[in-house]
Amino acid sequence: MAHNTAVLVLGGGSTGCGIARDLAMRGVDVTLVERGNLTDGTTGRMHGLLHSGGRYAVSDQASATECIEENEILRDIASHCVEETGGLFVQRPEDSDEYLQKKLEGCRDCGIPATVLSGREAREVEPYLAKDVSRAIQVPDGAVDPFRLCVANALDAERHGARVETHAEVIDLLREGDDIYGVEVRHDSGPGKRTHKSPGTTEEITAEYVVNATGAWAGQIGAMADLDVAVRPSKGVMTIMNVRQVDTVINRCRPKGDADIIVPHETTAILGTTDEEVADPDDYPEEQWEVDMMIDTLSELVPIIEEARTIRSFWGVRPLYEPPGTGTQDPTDITRDFFLLDHDERDGVSGMSSIVGGKFTTYRAMAEEITDHVCEKLGVSATCATAEEPLPGSEDISVLEEGMDNFGLRSPVARRSNQRLGSRAADVLETDEPNPVVCQCEGVTRAEVQDAIGQSGSDLNAVRIRTRASMGNCQGGFCCQNMATELHPRYDEETVREALDELFQERWKGERHALWGEQLSQAMLNYALHATTMNRDNDPASGATQIDYAQFDGGA
Amino acid sequence: MSDAQRPIDDSVPSEQPSTGGADEDDSGNDEFEPVQVFPEAEEMDLRPGADNCYKCSTCDTNCPVAEVDDEFPGPKFQGPEQWRLKRQDDHDIDESVMKCSNCMRCDSACPSSVPLSQMHNTARAEYVEENMSKFSREYLRNRMLANYRRLAPLASMFPRTANFVMGLSVTKWLGEKTLGITSERDLPTFATETFREWWTDRGGAKVQNENKRIAYFHGCYSNYNTPEVAKALVRVYEHFGYEVMVPEQSCSGTPMFANGMLEDARRAAETNVRELAAAIEDGADVIASCSSCSMSIRQEYPELFDFEDTETVAANTWDAVEYLRVHEDLTGALENTTVDDEFDDMAYHAPCHSRNQGLDGQTIEVMDAIDGIDAHDVGDSCSGISGTYGWKEENYETSMKIGEEMFEHMDEAEAETGLTECPTCSMQMEHGTGYEIKHTLEVLEAALVSDGGGSHAETGASSSLGEAEGEGKSTETGTESD
Ligand SMILES: Cc1cc2nc3c(=O)[nH]c(=O)nc-3n(C[C@H](O)[C@H](O)[C@H](O)COP(=O)(O)OP(=O)(O)OC[C@H]3O[C@@H](n4cnc5c(N)ncnc54)[C@H](O)[C@@H]3O)c2cc1C
Ligand code: SF4
Ligand code: SF4
Repeated sequence: MAHNTAVLVLGGGSTGCGIARDLAMRGVDVTLVERGNLTDGTTGRMHGLLHSGGRYAVSDQASATECIEENEILRDIASHCVEETGGLFVQRPEDSDEYLQKKLEGCRDCGIPATVLSGREAREVEPYLAKDVSRAIQVPDGAVDPFRLCVANALDAERHGARVETHAEVIDLLREGDDIYGVEVRHDSGPGKRTHKSPGTTEEITAEYVVNATGAWAGQIGAMADLDVAVRPSKGVMTIMNVRQVDTVINRCRPKGDADIIVPHETTAILGTTDEEVADPDDYPEEQWEVDMMIDTLSELVPIIEEARTIRSFWGVRPLYEPPGTGTQDPTDITRDFFLLDHDERDGVSGMSSIVGGKFTTYRAMAEEITDHVCEKLGVSATCATAEEPLPGSEDISVLEEGMDNFGLRSPVARRSNQRLGSRAADVLETDEPNPVVCQCEGVTRAEVQDAIGQSGSDLNAVRIRTRASMGNCQGGFCCQNMATELHPRYDEETVREALDELFQERWKGERHALWGEQLSQAMLNYALHATTMNRDNDPASGATQIDYAQFDGGA
Repeated sequence: MSDAQRPIDDSVPSEQPSTGGADEDDSGNDEFEPVQVFPEAEEMDLRPGADNCYKCSTCDTNCPVAEVDDEFPGPKFQGPEQWRLKRQDDHDIDESVMKCSNCMRCDSACPSSVPLSQMHNTARAEYVEENMSKFSREYLRNRMLANYRRLAPLASMFPRTANFVMGLSVTKWLGEKTLGITSERDLPTFATETFREWWTDRGGAKVQNENKRIAYFHGCYSNYNTPEVAKALVRVYEHFGYEVMVPEQSCSGTPMFANGMLEDARRAAETNVRELAAAIEDGADVIASCSSCSMSIRQEYPELFDFEDTETVAANTWDAVEYLRVHEDLTGALENTTVDDEFDDMAYHAPCHSRNQGLDGQTIEVMDAIDGIDAHDVGDSCSGISGTYGWKEENYETSMKIGEEMFEHMDEAEAETGLTECPTCSMQMEHGTGYEIKHTLEVLEAALVSDGGGSHAETGASSSLGEAEGEGKSTETGTESD
């Protein structure tokens, strides 16, 4: 039987995109389907820590070793997505010395460079650290932008011939007897780049092999073919601060616990997190006390956080998994390792494997292992090159360092734009058109927004994750409409309105958990601004009835 | 050998384990704790200040430079946005910060207490430190303008020659060509006798009163160029029975902040804080006659420096008129006083730095109390000169465009004399209208001290009157300073 594609990858998170790239680079014909935008699952809702391995150096040394290896690879192949912040494990007076020693030994065992700093030295690195922090271990943690990294993987997969379909939800697995041969997807707006309002369609895509990389949703996919994949989704909260209080990753040096890490992320710092099992990865409570706990607990490490402004909070679900019969009670004790479930070996159903568990930092190594497995099934002998081949944007990192071009932009805007675009900067920013700043908080220019629209169609959330536009302190109040107007005239008025609504809704969702102090003022100002300048509190033009413009006088 | 391979015990600093003994340990540390030392202003991390900004743009709409210069991105970008986009080790500051005139209007306009001028001042200093060539003409010129005080003593040693040479058009042309100082303006003339020379000759204070003392911060301009203002202050305060002290002092720092020369400003401020703190210790309050000087000591010092007593000095510094309004019955004293014709109709401009201190309304109120004076407020626009800003060739046009509104209003007001408290505003007012410009203290002197010449007999008389009054109030002042 002729198939549409050799391999079909389900899920556009880091795992799925990583696998798609690896397969495509090995010359395998691959199609990836994702129900929302790329990163819509856990990948877009994680902490942004590029693990050095330090966090696992005591409890799980295999993971720790893998982390430091992959950490070093990603600094190379994804330099435009990674910021080499360094990290500290800080000890407070009440934290045990014995654990600090263990952590240090563990790092040494795993090949993680680690230095002990006195409290004073640690405060020289991070002046806002609490005065009573007594010691710290310095490790090469980093910050990573999951959106950019995931998109770069998908982009490179496409450059190697892959088909990437977003807004294409798998609604059924095609199974004949004991063989899975494809899926049925529902395209939200027809195949290809998304355009709002174009009618939805369904499509059957057949494949020689299916890779289920839907993370916390892997169980739901499995169930479509009566396979039992017992994922145990566990939620975690993250709170975004308006500015960076720290430029280094700050971990608490103690065994395990909630609210023990602050990661600098682009213009912000992100506090996290918790670990609590939930039944449904699409529907779980998001509670204010979780946010309060982040702020209260982490201000023990960095006291100015107590009074500082937060701009939003979000939750993500870990795709935790453990082999049947392990029976771990506390989700924090479930291994962070990943599992490759070959349903042929496991359930006697051929044509599909599922990947569950793992972490973002090691996505490439996971993808390599899975791709090896799939290639073996398909009889492909090409080997993996993803550890050496830089991702699009990281081909030539010298652009980020010496002689950075500013493309006529003011310095901080130029610097941030160059960092986001990496070696693509000249392609994107060199333009004869006027290039005003569209998003002032994040310093995103029109050229960058246009480039993103070119990649992703009328979906402004897809533009957002590519550019960071609307992710700053106004949370879109001042720029969503400017981003939307960039869609015109490529898209008509109705599409533009819909895209704007969708983006602004998404921005509002996270801001609901930050409504006090300055962010409350911001939200009030946004509301007033949108109401008075765009009628967005009650816009007759978006109502069902036609407006009788003749009823208006000439304003005389 | 990587650190990880070192024996653990070696790499653990010998700091006491945190359990027990923490107390001695901490106190032992305190002295050497580097982060407790206030960082150099250029290195301050002001990103947290961006938390207050909700991007309303009120600051932008109040910025006189942004209004006339499309190339200037405005205070919102300059301050909170630029800071928020910064990383700890980024050192490139956008050059547009040099277009900001440091008028501080954004500062007082912001409804949300964003520390805008502090952000501009540190960014400017960082720009000058990191991005401006120390050999460029611009740097030398700015350094010279910022350190006016160092040049002024030379000129005032030979004031007539200096005035003559500086007035020559060849000199001015050279100034523009070689230094970038606009030839459109007349350089300020130097007095033949500085205020401090006069003060020494006079034998210092004529009134002694340990209950009512002020330390006069005269600044550079009223010392070298307009000693008549400084003398007026002395006579008016002596009239109210104050003992005037004139401590050692350096430039207030205003022109240095505006030119990003924070190191120069730091040195000057250190002297001023030390000397003024000593005067405060002796029971004096600090009084300035120039609105930028008082602004600088009150707001910029505590924002940028952390000498011992910075806060005390800031909290005890006053504008000359403000102080009298609070501590004396100034309007009462002015009732039924009259002045000569030279003061009858006046066009008053409130300097931005007075506005920022909330003092923009006081002068008109005080003038209204004097019979025969009609003072017209010419509105709340900026004069456009902002200290050394309007002296630079590249800013001259912008400066005049900003000043246009004020010139028009002065023209429309029924007056041929200008009135203000800021020396550079007064230069701009004169330059734009040709009017003679007076300082408020000169008017007060004319009204209160019958013989403005300050003959010995007169001053003696007024001081004895002052002393009588002073005694009546001394308890009040006494409790004040407790
Ligand atoms: C709170 C939290 C913090 C974390 N922090 C870190 C960290 O700092 N560093 C780190 O290395 N790791 C971190 N992780 C772990 C890491 O985020 C995840 O392991 C990783 O992102 C998982 O990626 P994935 O591609 O497997 O899953 P996902 O990103 O969830 O991808 C699965 C995709 O499948 C899609 N999908 C679901 N159903 C369907 C369907 N029916 N049809 C089509 N598509 C479908 C989803 O939309 C989703 O995009 C964190 C996790 C959490 C929860
Ligand atoms: S006025 Fe204040 S709050 Fe408004 S934009 Fe300017 S700095 Fe921000
Ligand atoms: S100090 Fe004055 S010139 Fe500078 S940004 Fe503020 S308002 Fe504009």
